[in-house]
Amino acid sequence: MKNGISVRMYDVGFGDCFLVTIPTSNGDRRILFDCGSVAKGRKDMDTVVDTLIRDVGGPDEARIDVVVCTHRHKDHVAGFSRKEWANVDVGEVWMPWTESDEPEAIRIREAQARLALSLDAHLQRQAALAATPADRERYESAREFTLNATGNETAMETLHEGFKGRTDILRRFLPEKDKDGKILDTLKTDLLPGVTIHVFGPSRDERAIRDMDPPAGKTYMQFAVSTEEGSNAPDPFSRDWWVRNHKTVSETDKVHIARFSDGFSTVVAGSLDSAVNGTSLMLLLQFRDKYLFFPGDSQWGTWNAAMENNKFYELMKRVQFYKVGHHGSHNATPIQFVEKTIRNQIVCMASTRSMKNWPHIPLTKLMDNLAKRGAVVRSDQPPARSDVFLVGDGIIDTFIPL
Amino acid sequence: MAGRTSGNRVTIEINDEPLRPGPSGERLEVIDYDGAHRRFYKPVDLDERAILIQNGLDPSESDPRFHQQMVYAVAMKTLENFDNALGRPLSMKRHGRKLRLFPHALHGANAFYDPEIHAVLFGYFRADRTNPGPNLPGGNIFTCLSHDIIVHEMTHAIVHRLRRHFLEPSNRDVIAFHEGFADIVALLQHFSFTELLRDEIQKTRSDIRLPNHLVQMARQFGFATGTGQELRSALDKDPDPKLYNTVIEPHRRGSIMVAAVFDAFFNIYLRRIRDLIRIATGGTGELPAGDLHPDLVRRIADEASSTAQTLLTMCIRAFDYLPPVDITFGDYLRALVTADYELFPEDKLRRRSAMIEGFRLRGIYPANINSLAEEALLWEVPEGIPALPVNDRKIINWIVRSTEKVSRQAGRARKTTTNRYEESPEDTLAEETMLSKDALFFALGAWADANAPKLHLDRTRPLQVAGVHTVYRVAPDGSLLIELVAQFAQQNRDKVESLGGLPMRGGTTVVASLDGTVRYVVAKPLPSPRISRDKQKEAARREEEQMAYVATLDGRDVQLPYMSTKDMLERMRLRMNFASLHGGF
Repeated sequence: MKNGISVRMYDVGFGDCFLVTIPTSNGDRRILFDCGSVAKGRKDMDTVVDTLIRDVGGPDEARIDVVVCTHRHKDHVAGFSRKEWANVDVGEVWMPWTESDEPEAIRIREAQARLALSLDAHLQRQAALAATPADRERYESAREFTLNATGNETAMETLHEGFKGRTDILRRFLPEKDKDGKILDTLKTDLLPGVTIHVFGPSRDERAIRDMDPPAGKTYMQFAVSTEEGSNAPDPFSRDWWVRNHKTVSETDKVHIARFSDGFSTVVAGSLDSAVNGTSLMLLLQFRDKYLFFPGDSQWGTWNAAMENNKFYELMKRVQFYKVGHHGSHNATPIQFVEKTIRNQIVCMASTRSMKNWPHIPLTKLMDNLAKRGAVVRSDQPPARSDVFLVGDGIIDTFIPL
Repeated sequence: MAGRTSGNRVTIEINDEPLRPGPSGERLEVIDYDGAHRRFYKPVDLDERAILIQNGLDPSESDPRFHQQMVYAVAMKTLENFDNALGRPLSMKRHGRKLRLFPHALHGANAFYDPEIHAVLFGYFRADRTNPGPNLPGGNIFTCLSHDIIVHEMTHAIVHRLRRHFLEPSNRDVIAFHEGFADIVALLQHFSFTELLRDEIQKTRSDIRLPNHLVQMARQFGFATGTGQELRSALDKDPDPKLYNTVIEPHRRGSIMVAAVFDAFFNIYLRRIRDLIRIATGGTGELPAGDLHPDLVRRIADEASSTAQTLLTMCIRAFDYLPPVDITFGDYLRALVTADYELFPEDKLRRRSAMIEGFRLRGIYPANINSLAEEALLWEVPEGIPALPVNDRKIINWIVRSTEKVSRQAGRARKTTTNRYEESPEDTLAEETMLSKDALFFALGAWADANAPKLHLDRTRPLQVAGVHTVYRVAPDGSLLIELVAQFAQQNRDKVESLGGLPMRGGTTVVASLDGTVRYVVAKPLPSPRISRDKQKEAARREEEQMAYVATLDGRDVQLPYMSTKDMLERMRLRMNFASLHGGF
């Protein structure tokens, strides 16, 4: 077989799961980026995990050098809740710094979790009480966000203390700091000789942290208080002041006005989703003169900070492989990156599938524009073979020759 | 009537009008419907003898009738400030319906004007339990008990009434202008209450610019939401001219303009009290330690409040000189300067120069001019445009009718309340369009059509007469200044999809004197080969900016990936929504 880096994308449906194999001086080394889904693809998650474990050595000898968890969303971690992982030998686990024990990280995680839980309860209640079927659908569709952010405890447990070596495995929270507290934007490990990891995000800069912090807006407070009282309106005046009707307000207007009291929960749900995406790792793998870019689900804030950093921007220009951000949505891949930054012949992989409620993921225009710059493959496309990709039954391969 | 503003008390005097329980007057109607609990609260009857006798209800958080009274009084005060500055009574009716104010419409830390139902909705909510600021932890906070919030939202409603396209985010400044202007009105109206200023001046020893709670808007509101600091502060510590180029978020961007105006206010005020300080200090200008003499405090407070009132009038009056569409902060500066120049050709109080300086320090420069000198800032004085066709009998009729209206309004203020307030002619006219058979509109339309190139309009596109009204003002020499203001609007829907559901709009405001002589032309041209080369360039630039703005917002909109196809095509329209703007997402 030729010498080169291979990237395998598993068709998990709406989610991410990428296995990178690098031919280092010490032999082939494997890096796994995420394993999760919220809506299945050609195969269900169990099958994907079985296939993956077989691909890395089989149930008894499975070995992954580095497991990367870009962020704690179900569509990126759900697969790790399977018990098979207890038998997988893992060298290191990399997570964003927001997964560490630093007080700021704990605060952000707790704020997000609290919001997700109370918001989910609220949306559930609103859906049950909805005045019209359209309203109900709106609430139910917003619950996809809160559900994405909740109920991932088992998977996160695997990532934090599971796999074969359990707590002996080195967990690294990126970007790391040196002993003087300086933030390190590159990372090396003996496990991956010759590989340099450039850590573009998540940033530790205050502005970026604000994006991860959902209670940035006023209305979040309503949901952030507590599940029991958070979203119930307080009674402003005693019963003596209540009257049945003193002015005519049409029923249409009443319904219109009543809608505002739900605290824009559906909008807040979208912002919560984005806040968690904002914690996403954005990594650039460098091996010899090859550059592979994994932005996770990073949003505008992280992208903007990275593109404003000259050193990072220069590196971005060299990217040969791009994991399309956030399943191909528009604000996870800036126009400037596609039109002005990347070189031609770039190889792109998008793990995605069409969802009824989100017709603009993936964004057709973005996919078309990427295709103009190089080759793009989608995880949900039918089996095919080209110079760049081999699309099999639930497995898509590409190979970057050295 | 008494109102409450975070610990302060002030009596607000407003014109008398017959009121039904609500209060419900001719132009405004307070309706206490609570959408969260789906119930009404008992309305206040301000004409009730017991309430009349004590000059309105005393402040009380637990009595909804006080809330209703406060909302009504502050909203009316705001409206009167606009009436006085614009020299005509504004009708707030839309589709024949008054502006409705709902003091407890919703549960939430939010208050906004909702154009869809033509109403201002105020929210209430619990103060944060862990970080309540000066509020009672877990206590109820009412946005309708903040003077500044009421004025802010009322201003949105009024601005929407005067320029409905200012809700269309066609460049970075449009929504920011809406927000900033609403804050300016709230802030200056706040400062116009002498009673409030007195305490404050005593505390800060005349430097009302020290960070104290007067300059922080709606502080109670800000604390209650858990941000732990004031909602929006009008003052930058150090004006940073870079901000105007980088800040996008409408409130933050709007506050740049607020700061510019506040600077002007503060400098004029300082100038006006200099002699007082000198007299009080025997010429040294150094105030002694300890409390200030109450007479001095009263005099300084009077100066501050009258400065605020004059600047408020100046800021509002600029409105008639604004383009009908696509406003920028630079346009506003030009309108401010031109409107003030018309009334006070000599800048004796150096108000204009103070304003210009405030804008300059923050890097706000109007497009297409190369100097910030006063003459350069005045709007274009056109040449060779024939006079507006105002010798027409019907038009003269209309002018006379609207004059009558003004005098009736003035009479009403003296409590001659026999005449019922009718819909102002301006309102009836503004509702109609070019298609109307109305002679005035027809005549104006024909006139604009005939002079299209000089008005920077495209004759081949449909032309809408978007509004026309007369303005009555008294100049300092006592002479009556009557002006005619007409607005013409056009649109181009070719790129409506790439502009996120909005058309590109163009239009021209024409200011003329009573005999029809055109004095100023304020144009926002649409791309067209039928206008001058300069204007073609300007139009092309506007189009580019509108495109770029859509792209900027798209990049930052966390909701966009999840939009339905229908919403995607309408996304700019969906973004022009005060409810979500004020929700602070």
